[in-house]
Amino acid sequence: MKKICSLLMICCLLAGMLCGCGSTDSGGSQAEDGTTTITIWHDKEDAIIAVLEERLKVLAPEINIVFEKKSDLTEALKMVGNDPKAAPDMYFFAHDKIGVYAEMDILAPITDIIPKEELDQYMDSTIAAATYKDEIYQLPIYYETLLFMYNRLYMDDSEVPETTEELYAYMEENTKGGHYGFVEQHSTPYYAAGWINGFGGYILNEDGVPGLDDAKTIAAVEYHKKFVALMPGETEYATVNTLFSEGMAHSTIAGPWMIPTVRAQGMDVGVAPMPVIDETGTPIAPYMGVQGIQVLKFAAENKKDAVEQVLRVLMEPEVGVELAQASGCAPANEACYELDEIKSDEVVMAMKETAESAVPMPNIPEMDVMWTVAGNFLTDVNMSGKDVAESAADAQKEAEKLIESMQ
Amino acid sequence: MNRKKKNTLFAYAWSAPSLLLILLIVIFPILYTGYISLTNMNVYHWNDYEIIGLENYKDALFVFDNGFIKAFLVTILWTIVNMVLQLIIAFILASMLNIRKLKLRNVYKTLLIFPWAMPGYVSILLWKTGMFNSQFGLLNQWLASVGEEPVRWLNSDVMAFICCTVVNLWLALPFMITIIDGALQSIDKSYYESALLDGATWMERTRYITIPMIRAIIAPSVVITVFTTFKQFDVIYLLTQQVGSKTGADIHTIMTYAYENAFITNNYGYSSAISMIIFIILILFSMVTNMKPKEEEGRA
Repeated sequence: MKKICSLLMICCLLAGMLCGCGSTDSGGSQAEDGTTTITIWHDKEDAIIAVLEERLKVLAPEINIVFEKKSDLTEALKMVGNDPKAAPDMYFFAHDKIGVYAEMDILAPITDIIPKEELDQYMDSTIAAATYKDEIYQLPIYYETLLFMYNRLYMDDSEVPETTEELYAYMEENTKGGHYGFVEQHSTPYYAAGWINGFGGYILNEDGVPGLDDAKTIAAVEYHKKFVALMPGETEYATVNTLFSEGMAHSTIAGPWMIPTVRAQGMDVGVAPMPVIDETGTPIAPYMGVQGIQVLKFAAENKKDAVEQVLRVLMEPEVGVELAQASGCAPANEACYELDEIKSDEVVMAMKETAESAVPMPNIPEMDVMWTVAGNFLTDVNMSGKDVAESAADAQKEAEKLIESMQ
Repeated sequence: MNRKKKNTLFAYAWSAPSLLLILLIVIFPILYTGYISLTNMNVYHWNDYEIIGLENYKDALFVFDNGFIKAFLVTILWTIVNMVLQLIIAFILASMLNIRKLKLRNVYKTLLIFPWAMPGYVSILLWKTGMFNSQFGLLNQWLASVGEEPVRWLNSDVMAFICCTVVNLWLALPFMITIIDGALQSIDKSYYESALLDGATWMERTRYITIPMIRAIIAPSVVITVFTTFKQFDVIYLLTQQVGSKTGADIHTIMTYAYENAFITNNYGYSSAISMIIFIILILFSMVTNMKPKEEEGRA
């Protein structure tokens, strides 16, 4: 009896272990009651998702929308993207991973669902960002660019530098006694790209060719060095943003997501156009990230009607307005900029102005290796004091080797 | 079926859940990695990958260039320095915990175990921003209070290596202290009493009683810790190499080196080949460390 009991327990234990290997079925096109569930993965803050949830309620009860926050969305999609039982139907994320997922063949072109001409209402740069190998894979919702911000307690509106040399003069005068005239994440490629693009250089071009040893890139990094010398050694997000939010740095280049935080701390923060680089006559041109909806292939094939209805709700200009009001997002839909609610928003309009010179972040798979290689290059130059041209040549070789290894 | 066979069968049946679990979470991933390393699986061949033989291993050998050899030597130095310091400090602290009539012993034990209870990621970033940060870190606040210039602790290779070692010790000491403390408590006190009667000093008691008696107990923990330290990634990567917060130090262990030279490429076949080579290196390393000295083998 004892042995039979123990054998039974072993069987139960084994069955228990193995049933954990199954997965919940989120696939299929329609439930028995005629409703369709659309699962959307995202990595966004609650305020943004609350707006989308509210707008999408009009589709209930026929279409049930489930937003799932995934902190490691990009890796999770790589793992389950081609498994309809585990993958979402759509995901809400920046455009820069489109190339990877398109190559993995898990994305459906958005034009399979929404006719191309209807996408004309979006800003050209957002559509360019959403395009990979001539196919549009994203419905743009809003975009982000870095902004030049200043603390009015220290920097008067009349003191805001219009050129980089004016900025440098301000830094020289005000970087003392634990205060900094200007700070930024100087050795992080996403931030340094603004200077490189402003010089006409590039980190990676649309053909997947690295441009770290391009003469213009080298000139940009060389010119940028004198600004770095007047900034703190640390380049990471926490230090730079804390220096600004604590009032120890008078100005910074940072993302719009920082504005609500510093305002909540009581800072009178101003937003200004990017300074024009004296050497080239063009403004600092940061990368632009476009946040939008990507549809997975399985959902596009099996839940096309429901997916289309979701996308059409999200295409309404009111969604852009509400997102701008809730979280300072700059709408991708041109129609929004005709509305007073948007025209009167200082931050959104500053982003629109910066977007005119901004460069969409490359969305090709090769960019994945460039963040590390370009980061090492900038660190070597700015923090280890190595020669720019030599470091650029080494980094270029490294980037080419890694890109070759991707194949 | 005779009784012996029946017993064997039951023994396997009872062990089956554990064996299956080991198979699923240890053996299967290794075999699967081995399989992927023979394919061309990457973002361009995600679903339609095929077996390409040993091509990835041929490419992987290029990663094992001068940079890899330097990283390998740093890894060995890192492992030795950390293990020696861990054993010495843990032994001293555990010995102090075993001082007779020590008051608040449990409070000290709880405090010493605390770093182990915190997630490593959180601890490392706390050290990075709370202690080593040149603007807000405690170390520079102390220096400023005595009129010294701030130091960029993680900027140079040597200083960064020392800082990484300090953090690794902070994270790893609780485990070693616990093991040595347990081992010390298992020693029969009568040995010490006899030694005291014979006039043995503290050093002699430690050398001839304590160390020989705890050696066998702590040996498996030392082997485990050697491996954890050898394949350490988090401490060095998060303190000095993390994308977006690099510090200027260029110290790489084989794991951080392989990460920057293979894993970021999204080429799973190629990365798997490198993982398998590192796995083989670790197995060889394990065989060497498990080799018993000849005299000990003879005694056994």
